[in-house]
Amino acid sequence: MSPRAGLFAWLIAVVGATLVHAPAWLAGGALLALAVSGRGRVALLARALRLVLPVLLLISVAYLAAGWLSDSLAWEYLLLLNLRVSLLALLTAWMVRDLDLDRALRGLPRLQRWLSIVRGQIEVFRRLAGDYRAAARSRSTTPPTLGQRYRAGAALGLAALDKAVYNAEALTQGMRSRGALDD
Amino acid sequence: MHIPDGLISPQTYLPALAVAAPLWALAGHRLRSRLGDEVLPRLAVFTALAFLMSTLMLPLPGGTSGHVVGVGLLALVFGPWTAFMAYSLVLLLQAVVVGAGGITSLPVNALAIGFAGAWLAAGLYAVLRRFGETPAVLLAVWLSVMGSALLLALVLGLQPAIAHGPDGTPLFFPFGPAITVPALLLPHALIGAGEAALTLLVFRHARRRRWLVAGG
Repeated sequence: MSPRAGLFAWLIAVVGATLVHAPAWLAGGALLALAVSGRGRVALLARALRLVLPVLLLISVAYLAAGWLSDSLAWEYLLLLNLRVSLLALLTAWMVRDLDLDRALRGLPRLQRWLSIVRGQIEVFRRLAGDYRAAARSRSTTPPTLGQRYRAGAALGLAALDKAVYNAEALTQGMRSRGALDD
Repeated sequence: MHIPDGLISPQTYLPALAVAAPLWALAGHRLRSRLGDEVLPRLAVFTALAFLMSTLMLPLPGGTSGHVVGVGLLALVFGPWTAFMAYSLVLLLQAVVVGAGGITSLPVNALAIGFAGAWLAAGLYAVLRRFGETPAVLLAVWLSVMGSALLLALVLGLQPAIAHGPDGTPLFFPFGPAITVPALLLPHALIGAGEAALTLLVFRHARRRRWLVAGG
């Protein structure tokens, strides 16, 4: 399947899952997705559940408590909600793991370029923040207080911002000079 | 703050998409017409910053934490239309790169946080600026966070009424506004204060560096 077809298949599957209200069908969809997702199923399921488990736990426990107090608990609804949210998270985690987004967006140069630039900047920020944090940690022998952490974070953030803007300006000039921004 | 996939109904996200799509087209058109070599790298950096701010956990007294949004900062530096477009990209990245948030809930999140949040922050800042920059930024950003949280709470709270089975059992989010409004507004009152302080810090820095872009 081509990356573009994979992207559309994911979109159709995600929208389709919100139109199905039978827990058995949603459970079947989740099992099918796991079966055809290939190697690393357990890791994929764990990644998907890690993202939605806190929300699902919070809603389910609150719903159980409210239902128990009002004596109107609908177990099938609870199953439906958990299965639907888990299936959607599983489909998205699968897409994130296996889909080459850059190839899927071929033919949409503006969106592709924006995604590339912003993803690049995110990596730059992460690296700068990691470098500054490691440098700050290496200079102090005791754990910082909350106030010190906020002050160090502010100084670190602004220094990283300056450096990131400088890097991005250099990158944009390079892209412009090579005709990458001409369309 | 944003809603994940599976909690809001197609009866909600499809009309939201119909509203958001022309707004994205308009914002994209405005952005293309004013995106020069000076603005492009800064916007990319601030969009990346907003993405990271939404993954950054603010340590709060008592050991809890919450994440900030960053749309107020984008609105004050680049204007509300650009902020809406940039924050929609942040939500899209979160959905397709990290797997957080969701693609079906993207229009609702983009309208409530990206559009309403950006316009609230920019509009309130314009009104409050006469009282000084610091109170104007702090209040505008805090109220923008609260406004977005209120909109999302209402969208979630309306789900049992919008989408339910023949016996009245909800099909998507189960709780009404009586629960969702305080559940979202109370923590966001604190998160909004943290976001306002963070925005003020970066906004002052951006003004000193002459990065502010008017009328976006």
